[in-house]
Amino acid sequence: MQEATKITDEVQFLDAPNVKIARNSFEELMVELPDGTSHTNVEAVRSFPLTDSSKYITLLDSEGEEIGIIQDLKLLPRESAEILVSELQKRYFMPKITKIHELDGQFGVTQWVVETNRGPVTFGMRTRYDVVSLENGRVLIKDADGNRYEIENYHRLDPASLALLETQL
Amino acid sequence: MPKSSNVRRDFLRKRHSNGHSASEQPADEELTTMEEVPEELEERVQTLLANGEEIKIAVSTDLRFDGNYGKDWVFATDRRLIAFNQNGAPEHQVLEIPLASVEAVEIVEMYGNNILKVRTSEDATEVARYSRRVSPKFELATPELETLVQDANPDVEHEKQHRPQGWGKNKNKCESCGQPLPRWSGVCVNCVEKRKLIFRLIRYSFPFWHIAVPALALMMVIRLVSLLPAVLSKEMVDNILVPAERNISGATLTVTGEPIPDPTWGLLSGIVEGVSGWLTLPVAGGWGHLTTIVLLMVSFNVFTMGASAVRGYMMAWVGQNITRRLRNETYEHLNSLSLDFYNQRDTGNLMSRITSDVARLRDFIANGLQDLIGDSLTLVNICAIMFLTNWKLAAWTLIPVPCLIFFTIFFGRKMSKVFSVLWKRYADVSTILASTIPGVRVVKAFARERYEINRFSEKTYQVFDGEMNAAKLWTLYRPIMEFIIFSGSILIWLIGGSQIFDGLLTLGELFMFQALMGRFFRPVYTLCQMNERFIRAATSADRVFEIIDTPPSVADREDAVTLENIKGDVEFKDVYFSYDAEKNAINGVSFRAEAGEMIGLVGHSGAGKSTVINLITRFYDPSEGSIEIDGHNTRDIKLKALRQQVGVVLQDPFLFQGTIAENIGYSKPGASRHEIIAAAKAANAHEFIIKFPDGYDTMVGERGARVSGGERQRISIARAILKNPRILILDEATSSVDTETESNIQEALERLVRGRTVFAIAHRLSTLKYADRLVVLKDGKVDEIGTHEELLARDGTYAVLCEKQTELSKIRAL
Repeated sequence: MQEATKITDEVQFLDAPNVKIARNSFEELMVELPDGTSHTNVEAVRSFPLTDSSKYITLLDSEGEEIGIIQDLKLLPRESAEILVSELQKRYFMPKITKIHELDGQFGVTQWVVETNRGPVTFGMRTRYDVVSLENGRVLIKDADGNRYEIENYHRLDPASLALLETQL
Repeated sequence: MPKSSNVRRDFLRKRHSNGHSASEQPADEELTTMEEVPEELEERVQTLLANGEEIKIAVSTDLRFDGNYGKDWVFATDRRLIAFNQNGAPEHQVLEIPLASVEAVEIVEMYGNNILKVRTSEDATEVARYSRRVSPKFELATPELETLVQDANPDVEHEKQHRPQGWGKNKNKCESCGQPLPRWSGVCVNCVEKRKLIFRLIRYSFPFWHIAVPALALMMVIRLVSLLPAVLSKEMVDNILVPAERNISGATLTVTGEPIPDPTWGLLSGIVEGVSGWLTLPVAGGWGHLTTIVLLMVSFNVFTMGASAVRGYMMAWVGQNITRRLRNETYEHLNSLSLDFYNQRDTGNLMSRITSDVARLRDFIANGLQDLIGDSLTLVNICAIMFLTNWKLAAWTLIPVPCLIFFTIFFGRKMSKVFSVLWKRYADVSTILASTIPGVRVVKAFARERYEINRFSEKTYQVFDGEMNAAKLWTLYRPIMEFIIFSGSILIWLIGGSQIFDGLLTLGELFMFQALMGRFFRPVYTLCQMNERFIRAATSADRVFEIIDTPPSVADREDAVTLENIKGDVEFKDVYFSYDAEKNAINGVSFRAEAGEMIGLVGHSGAGKSTVINLITRFYDPSEGSIEIDGHNTRDIKLKALRQQVGVVLQDPFLFQGTIAENIGYSKPGASRHEIIAAAKAANAHEFIIKFPDGYDTMVGERGARVSGGERQRISIARAILKNPRILILDEATSSVDTETESNIQEALERLVRGRTVFAIAHRLSTLKYADRLVVLKDGKVDEIGTHEELLARDGTYAVLCEKQTELSKIRAL
């Protein structure tokens, strides 16, 4: 009997060690593939922005067509990886909340005064459903403007912050 | 950062204190592109400016380029763009770009933050990074910046961006205070003008004043009368029981001796004297008085009960009438509103406004206000009686009341928090049920029962946990309340007792105090809850009034004209339109359809085909440009007149609850049976309709007979034919039916299109074979126009589409 085709064969990853990524003077990403083709104004998108941010990075050309997928940032040449990482860090802005000073409000509309790894910030929320609790105590938060925040593990918050957060979970 | 001759950077030595830190930034920051600049920075900027150079734009960010919260500044003068980037370095980094070299200003939207980018012919520079909180500000600044660029370089024609309406507005936040709007209502909790709303609500009870006012008066009487038994008990003890007891024990049964002294009635002397005189009881002395008082007590009680029942009925009548009026008014206005209002809100939300919000308002108008008046009155009455009787004891008795108020409010707040968490957890449980029960085939097929059971049991544990929290509060709350009330009565025993020793208080008064104390609790409790009830009613009122107060965005002008018989020329003149104020759905569409011509609209999904149709029917008005029918701007034609001339057949035809005849006749009120059958015949529908046992009287719609997609489609075509419109719109009329049915419908359509201006959308290009011309849309713009043959010869977008479809049909043929 013929062996079933492995589903993983369906994805062809880019030959990452031979991919060159650079930045041009328009502040755009340039990608040069091993076969010699090159693209400018490349957009890099995480496939799993929340659960696996350093793997499966999809590169899109200026038309939004897929160039290919980089399986793991680690596979890229060092220089290329650095540029791609800095680009991704800029594109995905999600501060980590380390402390909750105040959390108040009614009817699901809440004002949060928090400390993040990016500095202190105040934001408002439209509904409690924008606080999503994931596995291992991880909490994702989306504010009224669409900004995102995360709490790595809410069990590790100080008791005062924890008490405030628990009203929302 | 790129190196370029156009960009000069200066490094200033001193670190500039940036005023506010992110957390101090007020939420209601004014939306302006000329912000107040900190003095220090202002000076620094001035030193950079040449003579006569003027600052036109000054905006601050809330992020720095290193991704930390902080303020960077962007200035624009009539000549230059200057950006102060702090960049984490101790010195200011200053970035200057001459406006004359700028080719484009862009906003790059990313995940949780955006970047303002300026492009020159040689390079591009990221000027500012900001979180989405301040994006409205930058959305305002960008077009201003573009204007400055254009002014600085008038020779070059810059492409003007057509931005959606509402650009620069934050739809998720209250316009006046900047607080987030709750997702479920869109009404600012902060800005609801409660008092104004309440007065407006009360106005709804005015038409029913002839019932409401007597009911209110009756309630006042009831509240007063309900306190009388307590007063009577005092009279009974002081004037009958105590003297009798003293008489018996003191005089060692000298019954023949002195009679019981005539009672000296207190507060209620008139009533008691009157009643006992009128009764002329057969039993004399103490017995007579006792019976009088007991009879009075009974009758007061019976009166209270009876009157309450009558009042309850009266107020129910008033409340239900208010509900009905409010519901009808809301629904009527809802029908006049344009589609954009519906698109921004989900159906469930709008339905709950008309059903549950209105009901909540009824509760407030009918019960809430009367409770407020009644309970305050009761409290005032109780206090008055207490203080009039013995102000010292009254003062002592009221000592626990602040505790009562404090704990009621305290527990009330805790409770509402616990309950809202609990409510969410219950909702989670139903969410799981709602998703797994209909999906049971998938669950079983992949043998994931255990996984689902575990997920469910996790949620039920959370409910358990929440319920136990609530139980903790309840079980604490009750004893504490009871203890406070008990401590009140203890105080009465203690202070009252000592006053009896001193002859300052009678035993009857002591009893009365105890009885009144017991009546104190309920009004205090309701009044404490009143604020929350108030806020909830105000929010509901706002949700309802939002519907009533929204003016329809597509409405008749004062001088709108009625078109009796139109020819059917339709012309689009440079039309722009956006649904969401973020992206234009169509971007400058111009074309002309002659009367009687059939135009096929072709393009990928999202190209703007349906939008073109929505604009012809005037479900929306274009944000720029105009659409003309027979040379009249559609905005100048009365909506009703316009829509009388337009017939629509949709992809998923909607049938109302009712008979087939009613559904066909929907487009022409008063259509005769003859006309209906004729229309059905023309639509190839007659044939299947008469096969139903009930024929044209077959009920269709949600609870009616099962009608297949193709049959529904033909009914809706009959509906369109009956109207005999000059302009006909076919929106994917045949895409959801099988090939045979399609040919059936095609035949019907062919008959329908003759002599009318027709706009047809179809994915299956073969459907458009009768079209005189095809308009190919791409990214909201007209890409190509021409006949099928012309477009094929052109070898453009249409040719590619055709080729793909031919390939597909080959596969099908295999």
